[in-house]
Amino acid sequence: MDPSSTGIQEPFDLIRLSLSERVYVKLRGDREVTGILHAYDGHMNLILSDVEETIMIVDVDAPLEERRAVKMAKRKMEMLFVRGDGVILVSPPSRT
Amino acid sequence: MSFFGFEEGGLEHEKKKFLEGGLKESEDVAVYTWGEESYDGLGDALLEGGDELNDETFGATGAIGKDFDFSSQNLPVTSPSTGRVHDQHSRAIEQQPRERTPRIEVTGSSPSVQPHAPPADSLESIWDDKSPFAILSRMNGAGHSADHQRAPSASKSPFLPSATNDNRAIGHQTSIPQGVNHTGVRTLQEIEAEMHAIAQQSRISQRQELLRQEQLQQLRRQQEQQEHLRQNQLQQQDLLRLQQLQQLQQRTPPPRMLSHSQSPRFHAHQILQLQQEQERQQQHRLHELQEQLRMEELERHVRAQQVPAMQHQGQSLGRRQTSFNDLQAAQGVHQRRIHSPAFVDQQHTQNSQNAQLLPHNIQLQQRLLSEMAQAEFMRDMQGVSPAEQEQLRAEAMRKIMETERMEERRRRKAAKIAHMSRYNDLMTQSDKDFITRIQVSQLVTQDPYAEDFYAQVYGAILRSRLGLQSQDERVLKFGSGGGVGLGLAQKGGGRRQSAMQKMEAQVERIVSNARLREKEKGLHSLHSLQGALGKTSGRSYKAAPRQLLQVEAANATTPTMSGAHPHISKEDAIETNGEGAAREAAKLGREALGAAAGTDGVVKMEPLAQRQVLVILESLYDLVLSVEQLRRDQPPEEDEVAFNAWQMSYEDLTEQLWINLKVMVPLETSDPHPFVSLLTPAKGKKILPRLSRHISGPRMLTLLTLLVACFSQLDVFKQAGLLDSVEDTPERQEVDRQTQAFLGSVMQSILPVVAKAELRLVSGLLGLFLDRCDVVAAAQTKPGIAILTLFLSRVEVIKQNMSTVVDSPETPTPEEAQQWQLMFDHLFQLVAPHFLALFPSARLASALPLPSHGPAPPSSSLPTDIIDQPIWQFLAALALHASSEQQQILVSTLREKVLENVTSVSKGWVADEEEGELKLANVNLFLHALGLDSSQIEI
Repeated sequence: MDPSSTGIQEPFDLIRLSLSERVYVKLRGDREVTGILHAYDGHMNLILSDVEETIMIVDVDAPLEERRAVKMAKRKMEMLFVRGDGVILVSPPSRT
Repeated sequence: MSFFGFEEGGLEHEKKKFLEGGLKESEDVAVYTWGEESYDGLGDALLEGGDELNDETFGATGAIGKDFDFSSQNLPVTSPSTGRVHDQHSRAIEQQPRERTPRIEVTGSSPSVQPHAPPADSLESIWDDKSPFAILSRMNGAGHSADHQRAPSASKSPFLPSATNDNRAIGHQTSIPQGVNHTGVRTLQEIEAEMHAIAQQSRISQRQELLRQEQLQQLRRQQEQQEHLRQNQLQQQDLLRLQQLQQLQQRTPPPRMLSHSQSPRFHAHQILQLQQEQERQQQHRLHELQEQLRMEELERHVRAQQVPAMQHQGQSLGRRQTSFNDLQAAQGVHQRRIHSPAFVDQQHTQNSQNAQLLPHNIQLQQRLLSEMAQAEFMRDMQGVSPAEQEQLRAEAMRKIMETERMEERRRRKAAKIAHMSRYNDLMTQSDKDFITRIQVSQLVTQDPYAEDFYAQVYGAILRSRLGLQSQDERVLKFGSGGGVGLGLAQKGGGRRQSAMQKMEAQVERIVSNARLREKEKGLHSLHSLQGALGKTSGRSYKAAPRQLLQVEAANATTPTMSGAHPHISKEDAIETNGEGAAREAAKLGREALGAAAGTDGVVKMEPLAQRQVLVILESLYDLVLSVEQLRRDQPPEEDEVAFNAWQMSYEDLTEQLWINLKVMVPLETSDPHPFVSLLTPAKGKKILPRLSRHISGPRMLTLLTLLVACFSQLDVFKQAGLLDSVEDTPERQEVDRQTQAFLGSVMQSILPVVAKAELRLVSGLLGLFLDRCDVVAAAQTKPGIAILTLFLSRVEVIKQNMSTVVDSPETPTPEEAQQWQLMFDHLFQLVAPHFLALFPSARLASALPLPSHGPAPPSSSLPTDIIDQPIWQFLAALALHASSEQQQILVSTLREKVLENVTSVSKGWVADEEEGELKLANVNLFLHALGLDSSQIEI
């Protein structure tokens, strides 16, 4: 089976492949999100379910030696709408 | 007035402020003066401002100095009589401003002083015009209309032709003061008459004296003639001067005289001024009406008092005197209204302009007034006390005020409506249609149903829930493709319905128009015109940027080979192949070897990569959608041509579906099999029920066989071990999700196939299952247990059918039955040692650090009972088929488990009623298959 004959013409076609699959989304503001992609649009607005958001926090006020450790705050959401202007990248989750 | 704009503007601004303020005083509502922003009030400024000194300037006040009276100064005083005449005349001039009628007489009576009269007269007639028109003009600010009125009156001023003097002199002869000597030019008649009179008076007078007198008279006449000549000259000079003066005046006319048509701003302000005038007049009329009412009331009052008692006349007159001002004002208004043509004119225009506003206003008030007047008169006739009259008056006033207020409110409302409806009817119907067409054309699509999919489906669900007849689609279609989705059905909207119909008509027109245009275009042959304006060079390839990501439509065999998708495909390659390059080479070698490499002549292939699977799945979804759409578009079978064509395309699409599912790919091609790979993602599992509707029975059987044969390759089988851990990891969640999807979708789609399968087939499938996969391991997974239970229950149904229906086509042959028994025995043999391990609760308990003996902790007992249920079901199915020995094995193995459940319920080790019931139900499920019940068990 020749996969490209099924018509991948634009980058969004690649995102389409990840529909109803778990995706990793990197967002602006040191956030990343993993969840099952349900829908997307031309603005890269995404609907994700079963989401885990990770926020990297660097305490600027802390002394230098402590600052190396980046704190991670995590939270889970059942369903999430991600506005497209914050999306940096969308990828299938890295598999081991 | 300044030559520079700002000062002038300041004046005007102040003026405007004053005017607006004045308006507001009498009108407590907001004054709507739209369109008048640019109005500078210049006309009114000219009319109303700076007139105070006019009278002084033009000598209307006080005695006129003689410094300007050139004629009398230059006149040599030859006789005392002329001087006297002159004195008299000057006195007359002094009187002139106050009395108009005598002035004419005086001027006419003394021809000798006539020459100097015209300047004073004409000037006064111009500047101190006390005619009603002049008053009106001042009152109304309608200077221009007054100008027209003044024109004839000015021409009447007696200074112009000397010929008229004679007539006037004759006309006024009787009024000549008796003692005055006749000076100046006299006509023959005059002289004769005089002579006659003298002759009569002194018939006996001496002839000589007469002669002397006559000589004297002649002399005097001569002198007078000479003097007259000089006077004529002077008169001419005066006239000249006057003309000059007039010209001067015309050039810089005093404010009130300014001819508007000469004003440079006249045309610009005419309309505005007219509007303001009308406004003022409106107010004026209101005021007038009030005054009229008051006057009428007073009059009635007087009359009423006159009628019963004449002796009160004096008193009433006195009263009348007190309110004389009112009366006068009212009468003045009356007169003005009746007599001034300007007013009538304006009223006329106003009426025609405010046709719906004013007549109504006036009519209303007039009717009210007349009613009140009638009532009051009736009462007056019967003799009403003054107090009551007062009350009546107050009542009347109150009513008037109310009417006014209502009127004001109405006017305000009308103004508002006018303001809002400013842009009404700006667009014609065709304009609106045009815009609607533009809007609607955005909605027309080639596939209206798909574009409106969610609304359509939701509408269908709603309709079916409401029990309405399911009308397939709510779309508007036009011949060859194109249409508009209509969304949900509108509920009982009469107006909306008609709007929808209108829109439908519109859209149909648009489409037909577009088609027509296309046809025309085709007629004109676009090709003949192509390149007529020269060839446009396409893309400059030099300028085109090099594409970093080159996505080619036609690709090489595999993405891993082509490298066209380096980002994902490489990852996939690594994932599936481990060491990409080495594996690649090995694979290529195998493929080169051809048939020899594969077993049984099957070309071995790499399993589908994750991305390939996803791509195929997407295309499958596309296919499924189009097939579903095609199913909806099924033409009636009577229409053979269309139906055949439809069937062709439908079959074509289902064929594509079947091919894409890759069920027919030889079993040994890859591990996992491509079909199994397709089932790996959740969406792959979920598409199966939708696909299976379009796949024929035999093909579904093939699919089922493949699934059973490849069961061990399924992810839900491979990963099932994760479900036995208590840790809630993302992986476990993922497996759980996949398992649920498999049970919900894949099992759902194969269930009807199995339900129709014959015994021979079922035993064959079971055999395949036992052959190709580890039954014990499979039985420890949910899907495995589900499939096994499915087979067993199917056979049980067949067995029951055998006993009830004797001659069934499904009735298996004894050989088939025997084969089944063989298979079953084999299964039992394999599973029997692991009966307890089948229970997920037992596996979970062993995974837990807690000892598995004794009652399970209450927190985890409830879910374990639920997940144990399928196992109890399987065991029950097993027990049904089992022989007595097999049943004994079953009971002995499961005795502890059964007892544990029963005792935990009876001894109250359960958390609640529900749990206990669940435990007992599970046990009974199994025991009932053996013909037993949990109640028979004694502890």
